[in-house]
Amino acid sequence: MSKRQPYELDVAKNDAAPIFWKSLEQKADPARARAEATAEFPRAAIAADLAKSDLVGPVGRRGFLFGGMSAALLAVEGCARRPVENILPYSKAPEYMLPGIPVHYATVREHRGEAIGLLVENHEGRPTKIEGNPDHPGSFGGTDAITQASILELYDPDRSNGPRTAGKEAKWEDFEAFLKQKSVAFAADGGAKLRVLMTPSNSPTMLRLRDALAAKLPQSKVHVWTPLSNSNAREGARIAFGKPVNTIVDYRFARVVLALDSDFLQTEPGMVRATRLFARGRKLRSSHESGMGRLWVIEPSYTNTGANADHRLRLAAREIEPYLLALGKELSTRQGVDLSQIAPLLATSTGAVDGVPPQWIKVVADELVTMRGRGAIVVGSRQPARLHALAHALNAALGNAGTAIGTYPANDPAERDVAADIKDLTADIDAGKVETLVILGGNPVYDAPADLKFAEKLAKVPTSIHLAHSVDETGSKCTWHLPRAHELETWGDQRTLDGTLAVQQPMIAPLFGGRSEIELLALVTGDPPTGYDLVRATVKSGSTIPAAVLEQTWKAGLNRGIFASSGNRSLGPMEVVGGAVVTAFSKSQASKPLAPDNLEIEFAPDPKLFDGRYANNPWLLELPDFMTKICWDNAACISPATAKALGLASGDVVTLSREGAAHVEIPVWILPGQADNTVTVNVGWGRTVTGRYGTGVGFDVYPLRTSDALGFADGAKVQKTGKTWLLAQTQEHQSMEGRPIAIDTTFDEYRRHPNFAQFKTPDPKVLPLWKPVEYKGHKWGMVIDLSSCTGCDACVIACQAENNIATVGKDQVHRNREMYWIRIDRYFLGEDESNPPVAIQPVACVQCEEAPCENVCPVNATAHSPEGLNDMAYNRCIGTRYCANNCPYKVRRFNYLEFQGGPTGSTPDTLYGDIPETRKMQFNPDVTVRMRGVMEKCTYCVQRIQEGKIASKRDERPIKDHEIVTACEQACPAEAIVFGDLNDPTSRVAKYAEIDRGYHLLSELGTHPRTTYLGKIRNPNPAMEQG
Amino acid sequence: MQIFPRSLNKLPLLVAVVANLALVGVVFVFWYWLSPKNLVMGYMPTQPVPYSHRLHVGQLGLDCRYCHANIERAAKAMIPPTQTCMGCHAIVKTDSAKLEPIRTSWQTGKAVEWVQVHRLPDHVFFDHSVHLHAGVGCISCHGRVDEEEVVKVQVPMSMGWCLECHRDPTPNLRPRSEITNMTWTNDGSFKPPAVNPPQNCSGCHR
Repeated sequence: MSKRQPYELDVAKNDAAPIFWKSLEQKADPARARAEATAEFPRAAIAADLAKSDLVGPVGRRGFLFGGMSAALLAVEGCARRPVENILPYSKAPEYMLPGIPVHYATVREHRGEAIGLLVENHEGRPTKIEGNPDHPGSFGGTDAITQASILELYDPDRSNGPRTAGKEAKWEDFEAFLKQKSVAFAADGGAKLRVLMTPSNSPTMLRLRDALAAKLPQSKVHVWTPLSNSNAREGARIAFGKPVNTIVDYRFARVVLALDSDFLQTEPGMVRATRLFARGRKLRSSHESGMGRLWVIEPSYTNTGANADHRLRLAAREIEPYLLALGKELSTRQGVDLSQIAPLLATSTGAVDGVPPQWIKVVADELVTMRGRGAIVVGSRQPARLHALAHALNAALGNAGTAIGTYPANDPAERDVAADIKDLTADIDAGKVETLVILGGNPVYDAPADLKFAEKLAKVPTSIHLAHSVDETGSKCTWHLPRAHELETWGDQRTLDGTLAVQQPMIAPLFGGRSEIELLALVTGDPPTGYDLVRATVKSGSTIPAAVLEQTWKAGLNRGIFASSGNRSLGPMEVVGGAVVTAFSKSQASKPLAPDNLEIEFAPDPKLFDGRYANNPWLLELPDFMTKICWDNAACISPATAKALGLASGDVVTLSREGAAHVEIPVWILPGQADNTVTVNVGWGRTVTGRYGTGVGFDVYPLRTSDALGFADGAKVQKTGKTWLLAQTQEHQSMEGRPIAIDTTFDEYRRHPNFAQFKTPDPKVLPLWKPVEYKGHKWGMVIDLSSCTGCDACVIACQAENNIATVGKDQVHRNREMYWIRIDRYFLGEDESNPPVAIQPVACVQCEEAPCENVCPVNATAHSPEGLNDMAYNRCIGTRYCANNCPYKVRRFNYLEFQGGPTGSTPDTLYGDIPETRKMQFNPDVTVRMRGVMEKCTYCVQRIQEGKIASKRDERPIKDHEIVTACEQACPAEAIVFGDLNDPTSRVAKYAEIDRGYHLLSELGTHPRTTYLGKIRNPNPAMEQG
Repeated sequence: MQIFPRSLNKLPLLVAVVANLALVGVVFVFWYWLSPKNLVMGYMPTQPVPYSHRLHVGQLGLDCRYCHANIERAAKAMIPPTQTCMGCHAIVKTDSAKLEPIRTSWQTGKAVEWVQVHRLPDHVFFDHSVHLHAGVGCISCHGRVDEEEVVKVQVPMSMGWCLECHRDPTPNLRPRSEITNMTWTNDGSFKPPAVNPPQNCSGCHR
């Protein structure tokens, strides 16, 4: 039987458009990649594995048939009367609680030094889904992937369930008694031998209690440490302005953004706010718009921000400094840019930088000067403080400060540089000045700078107390481990970087008896013991409002999720102390040029595990990395040229070493767009003491990170070990055979040819198979704006949380069995392998009106609804997988195994073989949990559609636009996804679907998808091409 | 030489008859005996408290919504909390032995373990509120509860049975004011509105 070959589309073939490729292997050998994509069992290793019986589980085929027959007989017997199920109503019903109706509460959560306001969905007191709070300036309704996944962290089965001391379980009363006894000693010497190590905090209550501790025990000291801090940015602002301030860029107002090693769209603080504003600043409703923002990015490794850049330059992190100096020098020559204060500094620059084309200085300077007041130079948090200071000086000279860049007072003016602070602590320990160390959150044994040897130091402290989510590297070495309550379990408060106050409300009582940082600190200071009282007291103490009004403010604040008028006013343009900026640069020194034997190593925050604290969250572990698409692992990224020079291939395990630090073994990954002679490693992997999912997954690179090189350092060496490591990654999965899919163009081209996207996706040449249906009622549709999507993965995790989607484990990912209903495709464009542009495309089921999947289902398990949804009836599916084969978009997912946990031992993998009870608490009760052997796919969140329809029927009113919001749309910080009724001419989706750059994916097949994509518009500067 | 006796000539006939009967039997087993008409209808479990709908609804005239309070707003019908029972039984029949589990629940705060009678499979998402709003009376799915001493399933609750009404809901519709009325009949004055219930998969399966 001959296999039908995928057709070649004339328009695509003859077009001079850049080629699309998903991986270097695919580019080198498209035929092999195509064969892999079409094979049922790709990769020889899998075929060989399949021959082994252990893959089908402990029960083989014969055993299954035998057991199956007896089970069938039992089933006949069993279903005569179904098992008795009980209904357990409340004894005393809580007020306003209607069983079956979810309740949403506003709360707040800290991530990466910034607060994100949330609305949490609760089913009968059980939080199941996190959404952004539209009223909160840190969220605007959006969230990020980590925030979406933090609901699963609450139900982590490996959270500790009580205090532990000396390896034995203990009770909170034991600890309280112990502390009481200790307090006598503290009081005697004013706490001289007490040290507290906490993470930098924006919580007013935390800061108030810290000050209370200092007042009560004046000799005690509080240190801060977190491996990925904003210390450099703070210090930079302090140098430039003379006092610590937070700066927030209004990416909507800024038309020219120059991001220097700053991944502000993913890993920098305030990513959700930045993404929302950035996307709004580039939103194009038609080709008649006068212009759009432009993003320039210079970075060593490909990040989300780089992928969204209009111009991207790959440059080693240490070269950013000479670049910014050269740019400053260029700017100082322009009229109206007064940089005389830092003139001596700029004079040191030659005005040119190795590896930077001259127009990257000249054209960028032109633009920044033209767009004076509407530009922003943004420096990444791993760059040294002096560079932040220089950027502040340049921004001030360009008039950007106070307009595009807001300046706000720091929430904690006393916060110190984290590296210096933890160094002081270890020095004090060495000096024998520390007898009691209280570690509030954090995991310093794992993530403190390697040269401090924190584990050894900790062993010298007689009493160490660690408050943490679970017993981790630090907790296992402390004399006391105390369980920390999750953010959804306790009271607290957070300020955003602009000062807006929000209160963290508990959704559920602590599942494992944990307590929060403030509650533990209150035990020491003698404040009231409950978080509620502590937070109320803070609100009261900082306020001059009379008590009766304060009660109202409190209630309104809880209800809305923010305390209105709590936001600090922007400080406006501030005076830059030029002399201090010049002095800060005096210590710079020249170093050896980078080469394959002198690599620069950059430590990057992991977009999923962050600094390692989310390492036991299977959703995040499995989420494919945005750029490399690697799941369940991290790798050291190197450029194709460097790989060639070192003779390395993706998956080769190397020994990565640095002078003055230990060495680690880690597989390499060849990443197009990586700067030559650099190696980028994501921190946060390779945890040794955490839960069942994260232990030993990935490779720990903290041993390479020393206190003088928290961001990047040169002098790194790579040595081939000869070993290889299997990296499960999804970049070639669900291939669409090289057809034009992610369509993009430049802004100028768009204005000339507004319908460019439809040229490549012509109308069908074939007649429809059936008589076309007229959709009279609702006609659900979706629009995805590729110009807005930044590829942050928030939608992927939001969908997983909403729709009970399983995680499958590394082994199954390698077998192409990941279950995501929405995936983010990442394509490289063009012939250049060193710095190719990137196209990003989220793909979920497009709900074809002429769905190819429906025609081939032998049991009618997938059928069309009168509203145009491609329904999936799980209970009818017999698992032939014909539909998935026939789907041109490759969006159908099959449950090959009992991914959601069947009876214990029914599947070989521990990941889902025995699913913990706590995990089940997260399941959305409105969505079926699918079993082995059934097909599933995106439903446009049909449960939300039905909920909205029922509510409208009940209230006898039409459904309002934006009333029904899919999980992906809700989570999207970029507002790239719009869902609604296409038959309602006033709806947003109907208007968006009419935008000229809209196109339907693979429209030429005649499938009539309901999802419309809006072609991506890039905005390159024509001057760059002229050189 | 005749090996087989003549009487064996009837064997094929006998085989045919038996085979046919067996076939009919098998069809019966699956069609009726294994169908919800047999398996679901008539299910009448013993409850921890012998609550009598006949007494409370039929004789005392309590409205269904007195106990199943959120039925017009939520998907679930809600079994009343112990609190609702105690609203009356703190005063009425305070020493009844049958009410012991209620009083225990009230004192300890633990739930009374009622046995679920009307149970749909997990992949069915039934919503009470929208049915009541459309004008489907309680009686259509639950029967004459006011005459039941012990609640039992009176309808098959199979997908075919659901679809019968979804295809033509008019015989089961009534004015919204009469949804809990067990004795209402259409005297011809009520014209059922068009309610357009869904007949596609995602109407009930999500």
